Amino acid sequence: MLEVRDLNVYRGATHVLKGVSFDVRQGQLAALIGANGAGKSTTLLTLSGLLRPRSGSATLRTDGAELDLTRLSSEKIVRAGLIHCPEGRQIFQSLSVAENLDMGAYTQRDRAEVCRTMEEVHTLFPILAERANVAAGSLSGGEQMMVAIGRALLAKPKMLLLDEPSLGLAPLVVETIFDVIQRLKSTGVTILLIEQNAAMALEIADAAHVMENGSIVLSGTGEELASNDRVRQSYLGVAA
Amino acid sequence: MSQYLFQQIINGLALGSLYALVAIGFSMIYGIVRLINFAHGDLVMIGAFSTLALVTAGVPWPLILVFVLAIGAIAGMTIETIVFRPIRGASQVTGFIATLAVSIAIQNSALMILSGQPRNFLFPAFMRQRVGFGGVNASLTDIAIIVLTLLLIGGLFLVVYRTRLGRAMRATAENLTAARLMGVAVNRTILAAFAIGSALAAVSGLFWGGKFGQIDPLLGFVPGLKAFVACVIGGVGSIGGAMLGGYILGLSEVLFVGLLPQEFSGYRDTFVFLLLIVILLIRPSGLFVRHTEERA
Ligand SMILES: Nc1ncnc2c1ncn2[C@@H]1O[C@H](COP(=O)(O)OP(=O)(O)OP(=O)(O)O)[C@@H](O)[C@H]1O
Ligand SMILES: [Mg+2]
Repeated sequence: MLEVRDLNVYRGATHVLKGVSFDVRQGQLAALIGANGAGKSTTLLTLSGLLRPRSGSATLRTDGAELDLTRLSSEKIVRAGLIHCPEGRQIFQSLSVAENLDMGAYTQRDRAEVCRTMEEVHTLFPILAERANVAAGSLSGGEQMMVAIGRALLAKPKMLLLDEPSLGLAPLVVETIFDVIQRLKSTGVTILLIEQNAAMALEIADAAHVMENGSIVLSGTGEELASNDRVRQSYLGVAA
Repeated sequence: MSQYLFQQIINGLALGSLYALVAIGFSMIYGIVRLINFAHGDLVMIGAFSTLALVTAGVPWPLILVFVLAIGAIAGMTIETIVFRPIRGASQVTGFIATLAVSIAIQNSALMILSGQPRNFLFPAFMRQRVGFGGVNASLTDIAIIVLTLLLIGGLFLVVYRTRLGRAMRATAENLTAARLMGVAVNRTILAAFAIGSALAAVSGLFWGGKFGQIDPLLGFVPGLKAFVACVIGGVGSIGGAMLGGYILGLSEVLFVGLLPQEFSGYRDTFVFLLLIVILLIRPSGLFVRHTEERA
């Protein structure tokens, strides 16, 4: 579904992505793991059109259409069904919870369908229905993450990019969020997940890619990587 | 209430309406692109001279109001498209200097085309009569300015808080990157903010002419500056704050001149800036902005 080839991305003068290549197959849950500053978020920002690569390509295939993400506006990328739930949540603090969710549905024209999705989101996260009219900035971190994910779901993703959805959250909330991720996968949404919590990510991932210093250094199934010595040492905290 | 005090309050509210209309647009533009737009006041002048041209052409007044809104919107969008959009992402100082350049360009073109000679500007005779309510009376012009401004601001609030476009504008103002990730075409949203803000400034120019009876190509300077002050008083970036800041400024200016002995009236603008400094000392982020939503 997604084919990333030899992406080179600069941020300012820094060469951040140095020839990144990987694939995500339709319906897959792929994990992208790596240390701080490896370039994971940069990869997602490039896929959603917020950063432009110096060279390389990223091809999204959906419904028979083939789109080069490195040439599309972020608006067209969203309309094509590639939805990015960014690092640090980035919800609209001054807007109400309901308005945040409506912003997620910004490109959706079918009001009836939006209402249905809204109900689904409210079923997944009942707290969002309860606090619909509260300013999103006044919610707890966990609730804000639910707003961010709910907002992404209202965009009807075909492929979802999740950047560290569990960061800084209580274990119970992390579990809820991972449940939702798996449930989404079971409805056929393709997912690319960045996680600090590599153990949890590898457990649910079909495929995983390890990024170091701006390149993918290792790819495999979740199980393969979970048993790989190098991964165990660097990312799973297992002593050699 | 004494006729004198009543008249001062109506006068202050009318002046406050003019300031509020300009300040709201100033604040919207700052809110969405973080640009201190020094050319914003010149839209007031453009509105005033457009009105004069339309009156001369014999266009009926209700239509003039609509045309002036449209002219303001088009002028604002033009400036945004050809000057501000290309330098988006540059430093705030660059942006500020660009707005200064636009302002000077507009003023100089106006001086060349229209000459510096002030022109008389008259509302129709019936607008200039006074209307009484239970022992007190006020000028119909002032009342019309106050009522029309409230209607326009009401309409603006409907757009900003009740429509998809308004929601996208607020979202973009708060977090441009996140708005792009929602699929918002942010350039169009920013253009809409310029259009709305500039339309309101142009209408304020129509009112300005009617209230003061004379217009000249440099008349935009004072309202631009006062709008800036009103925004700082109310909290830059907040629409409601800019509106209230405008009214506070208009009322306190008029009451300052009206209630203190004659000798002080020359200190009117000194007073305005003293007020600004006092408010900044007490509430650095403005009177109506809670600290949590403080803007850069
Ligand atoms: N706005 C920026 N300008 C310049 N360099 C940046 C910018 N943002 C990030 N970088 C650099 O790019 C590199 C990769 O950053 P990126 O955010 O992609 O890492 P990451 O893998 O997501 O890390 P983390 O796990 O901390 O989120 C880092 O070295 C960082 O210093
Ligand atoms: Mg990151």
